[in-house]
Amino acid sequence: MAAAKGAILKGLGVGLVSAVGDVLVIKQTQPLPAWTKSTKTKEQELTELRSAIDFVSGTLDELGAKAGGTSAEIFEALKMLLEDEELFDVATANIEDGWSAAAAIGKAVDEFSELLGGDPTFEERVADFQDLSKRVQARIAGIEMSLSIPATGRIVLVGEDFSPADTAQFTDAVVGVITYKGGPTSHTAIICRSKSIAAVVSCPEATALESGDRVLVDPVGDRVVVSDDQSLATKSIDFVAINEEPLIPVRANIGSLEDAKAASQTRANGVGLFRTELLYLSAKTEPTIEEQVASYTEILKSAPKGPIVVRTIDAGSDKPVPFLNMPAEENPSLGVRGYRLIADHRGFIESQLKAIEQARAASGREVWVMAPMIATAEEARDFSDLARSIGKYKVGIMVETPSIALIVDQLGGIVDFVSVGTNDLSQYLFAADRMNPSLGALLNHWQPALIKSLARIASGASSAGITSGVCGESASDPAFAVVLAGLGIESVSASKSQVTEVHNALSSLSLSDAKEIANEVLKQTTAEAAKATALSEIAKR
Amino acid sequence: MSSIKGQVQVLDPIGLHARPASQIVKLVKESGLEIMIGREGQEFAKANSALRMMALKISTGETLTVEVPTQDQGLADGIIEQIQHFLKGE
Repeated sequence: MAAAKGAILKGLGVGLVSAVGDVLVIKQTQPLPAWTKSTKTKEQELTELRSAIDFVSGTLDELGAKAGGTSAEIFEALKMLLEDEELFDVATANIEDGWSAAAAIGKAVDEFSELLGGDPTFEERVADFQDLSKRVQARIAGIEMSLSIPATGRIVLVGEDFSPADTAQFTDAVVGVITYKGGPTSHTAIICRSKSIAAVVSCPEATALESGDRVLVDPVGDRVVVSDDQSLATKSIDFVAINEEPLIPVRANIGSLEDAKAASQTRANGVGLFRTELLYLSAKTEPTIEEQVASYTEILKSAPKGPIVVRTIDAGSDKPVPFLNMPAEENPSLGVRGYRLIADHRGFIESQLKAIEQARAASGREVWVMAPMIATAEEARDFSDLARSIGKYKVGIMVETPSIALIVDQLGGIVDFVSVGTNDLSQYLFAADRMNPSLGALLNHWQPALIKSLARIASGASSAGITSGVCGESASDPAFAVVLAGLGIESVSASKSQVTEVHNALSSLSLSDAKEIANEVLKQTTAEAAKATALSEIAKR
Repeated sequence: MSSIKGQVQVLDPIGLHARPASQIVKLVKESGLEIMIGREGQEFAKANSALRMMALKISTGETLTVEVPTQDQGLADGIIEQIQHFLKGE
């Protein structure tokens, strides 16, 4: 059943851009049919198999041409595996044995995967190879897979949720994204926000949409409207900056040199979160101090004017650093991650802090350092002592665990600042796995319990004489940034695409207005009411 | 038909992996010959199949025999030399 014209589907909006486009349903969850014996002639099965392989092969060519460079080589190698003559011979033999084309290729790929298995060199290849097998089988079954997103038109992708592999294939034709599941901190949401793609997530009613339906994706209204009328889009609050400077500094989040350069083109006042993982996650061996100093110096020099808050490595067994020994864990987000790595890798964290200190001196920039995943005041003191023995930077910690959120008032004299990572704080506060797409609604930053926690953190920091900031996704929401300022948070750090919006919002009213708005929001008992209250209170000013 | 044999050594630090294997396949297909490759004394794999060659799980340092079904010594030497080049891991 197609969705009725004019129907309104409620969800959680991401970003401020709205868009009208044609629905393309991506059925990535549709299971592949079970392998069966053939009901057709052998010639028919062979023809089907050949044409499905050619189709997937062609897609690999297109992807390679689009990607270029090293990625093109990878696609080339994949194509070689898919078109392997022996593979086709084994599949042909399976068809001769009476199997259908899909079963024949599936079994052939399984056979080779087994031959290649057990060798770590080939593990990734085997995974890629199995993915190719699925794509061929999907093609035979007539199931669309995410590889075939058209490059032209105005497309609104609709699906359960999208993985990094999926979002990497978004073409310029993708103007909107709707997911049944997934929350505002899901990978899909983060990508859409950074690319300014209209998106509504956690929209279960969108399962009624069919490919070809024309819809309006209206994130500001937290809804999708089955209509081609762009004028129905909810107007975002047009923040008119009346003050020269925002109520509190608006910084940018960065993770690479490119980010630093792009952020310096915005009105960002420094960097509120410099994620350092990228420098290490792709390295096979530990970079030398000199290499680290060179990378950091270049990035610090390119970053927008203002202080730069550098976070020490935030890795865990789900995003392992190849040169550190990080055994797999049952529950990586509750395991040895972030600062907890110090137990086994003190030398590595010390070398990182040394490199940051040398880069600070070489760049002449104001640098603050902070550690992720701190749970106790004792850990905060341990990090602070270590950092102060190495460098002349301000020292702080991330507030992500509920345990440290409760005792920020006890951190006076230990650290200079705290920075709240609202994505992880929500995950731990609500016991809701960020990776589980069904739990998105709990991770909505308008949840009253999160807002109450932020109020407590702000007042705890103020009584301890330390400064507080927020660097999670929530700080990229202009209306929420106003609430944060009202709660007493002293700086925000947003994705670079949102810096201007957040800057405008925080320059559009007075601190006493922001406080009144925050007080009204604190009275609400649901996420929906909290957001609605914030928007209507802001509109009154 | 008789064939010419030659030896190559795998110098690539990750052994005979996907990239050299696919380079060899390309060369073999261009030659139009049914070239075989493998460890002396064990079953050889068809060198027109990257998968078969990868399934041999050859590690760095191993010596392999290449069998080229031709009597043209110059042609065989050229092919074997090329294969050796692909296995240098550069």
